[in-house]
Amino acid sequence: MSTRPIPVPPQGTRLHWHLDQPFRLKHLVIAVLILALLLVTGHRTEMDRMVSMTTQAVGNLVGLNDESQVVRGLSKVADSMWPPQMATSEEVARMNDFNADELPVFARVESRETTTQRLNEDTLQLESVTETTEVLYDPLGYVKTVFGKMIETLEIALWGTLLAVSLSIPLAWFAASNYSPNRVTYTLARGFISLLRSVPELIVALFLVLAYGFGPIAGVLALGMHAAGFLGKFYAEDIENADKQPQEALEAIGAGKIKTVLYAVMPQVLPQYVAYTAYILDRNLRMATVVGLVGAGGIGQELKGRFDMYDYGHVMTILIAIFLFVFLLDQLSARIRSRMI
Amino acid sequence: MSQTSMVKLGAIEKTWADGTRALNNVDLEVPKGQFCVILGPSGAGKSTLLRAVNGLMRPTAGKIQVDGLELTQASERELRKRVAMIHQHFNLATRASVAANVLSGALPEVSLARALCGWFHPEQRKKACHYLERVGLKPEHLHRRAGELSGGQQQRVGIARAFMLDPKVVLADEPVASLDPQISRDILTLLKDAARELNATVICSLHQVDLAREFGDRIVGMRSGEVVFDGAPTEFDDQRLSRLYQNADWGDGEPTPVTEDSLELEAAGGM
Repeated sequence: MSTRPIPVPPQGTRLHWHLDQPFRLKHLVIAVLILALLLVTGHRTEMDRMVSMTTQAVGNLVGLNDESQVVRGLSKVADSMWPPQMATSEEVARMNDFNADELPVFARVESRETTTQRLNEDTLQLESVTETTEVLYDPLGYVKTVFGKMIETLEIALWGTLLAVSLSIPLAWFAASNYSPNRVTYTLARGFISLLRSVPELIVALFLVLAYGFGPIAGVLALGMHAAGFLGKFYAEDIENADKQPQEALEAIGAGKIKTVLYAVMPQVLPQYVAYTAYILDRNLRMATVVGLVGAGGIGQELKGRFDMYDYGHVMTILIAIFLFVFLLDQLSARIRSRMI
Repeated sequence: MSQTSMVKLGAIEKTWADGTRALNNVDLEVPKGQFCVILGPSGAGKSTLLRAVNGLMRPTAGKIQVDGLELTQASERELRKRVAMIHQHFNLATRASVAANVLSGALPEVSLARALCGWFHPEQRKKACHYLERVGLKPEHLHRRAGELSGGQQQRVGIARAFMLDPKVVLADEPVASLDPQISRDILTLLKDAARELNATVICSLHQVDLAREFGDRIVGMRSGEVVFDGAPTEFDDQRLSRLYQNADWGDGEPTPVTEDSLELEAAGGM
């Protein structure tokens, strides 16, 4: 409550009323400049070529012209990707832990005959040799592998989020101008948060793979650090913008800063915090599929391997799995959120 | 009523950064157990004076003593535990439960680990329930969100919170300004009775003259940052009342005649 009086203008003062048009020449110049910028950058990013190629592709699809690079490229990929690979077969002789009594579900042992042309060293003639090999055939073997990898991806996303939350809570304290001990800690925390947020996960993961080797450690750390930058900023801003009245009430009885935040700020900001964290979990799940491309564990690592080996059938299975997982988790989080609010 | 002085303000001056004088050489001594009403128009410095007592507002000059303890940077924390405060806008954590709001009044005496888990001592829980019953709320209110209650109920929660630490002094800053007359009377009755049980001193700022006359053991009239009246409610006659409120000084140096416009501004200035 302000106790300062409101200044009142002396009586009889003439006030000048004046209402302008909303646009002036300045605004026209700005509009022209923006248009010019769009044209230049559009050309540099080949947006003109994109339009002509897409038009060509549409023309090809409706039968107006015969040649389209886009359609040719896409159909080549589509041909080699279908059907998705589901089964695995492995030579029994090469398996260390093969147990004929305990086969995986749906799996069976098959014998396969392979005929190869071989040079007979005595006669110096080429002759056909037929070999029979025992093969463990699992019709859902690859689906199981992908499922396992998907779970690993989910775990990376979960731990990345946990790491981000536990990192960003102390960071938010120092980055909130009304609770940071002094200007130095405030500036340091804000700077560190910006630094974390400014480097994309994929690039962080690239370097962390060098430090920690291939596998999920690099993935979890990369996701956690980037998300901590995001959460730290938003947590801190919510603390700064929280209603001051309950804080003043606890300050007035000498409750101390930490307890004031716990009892006067947290109840206000908690719903927003839950929403931010849920968003980060969602984002981390999608990012966790990507950081594997640079070797940071999860489904992405499998995807990269198969893509490089031209196993497009396997790639298809992985893409379907990613889509299904993201879709299901979306549904789940929407349901949880509607129940919480 | 004992005559030992509980709150002692000596020559308090407050000048805001923009040069406005909010308090001008205010001396005030309030004995133990007194219900002292600070009365005056908006902008008179009532709030500023109250906030000086617990150090929420640092005066430019002057001495403050509460319960024999002088207010300094070092003693502020200790002093604030003995001085509770009730606010015009209730200042509750509206999304937290009524129970959490009342318990938060005991926070200065709770360890950080306990505060973190919300694990308050059983006596504190019992006390919270006792005061909630005392202010006329029901057990089913305990787990309701404070923001769902009506204004009068919220102020009851505010009073229960204020009494959690057995305060020696209760500062009530326009506690009923946003409530209707009947509820205002109930709330002030509650406050007065609860304070009397603990023999606590109450310094209550009001702008309703009838309430001030009804509840105050003593009325301190303020205008433009100065104490212009100090005495028993019976001495506060209509002539003094009109002198307190008429020709309100707007701080421009020249007194402005009271017109409808300036009355509206007065209401806005109180927000």
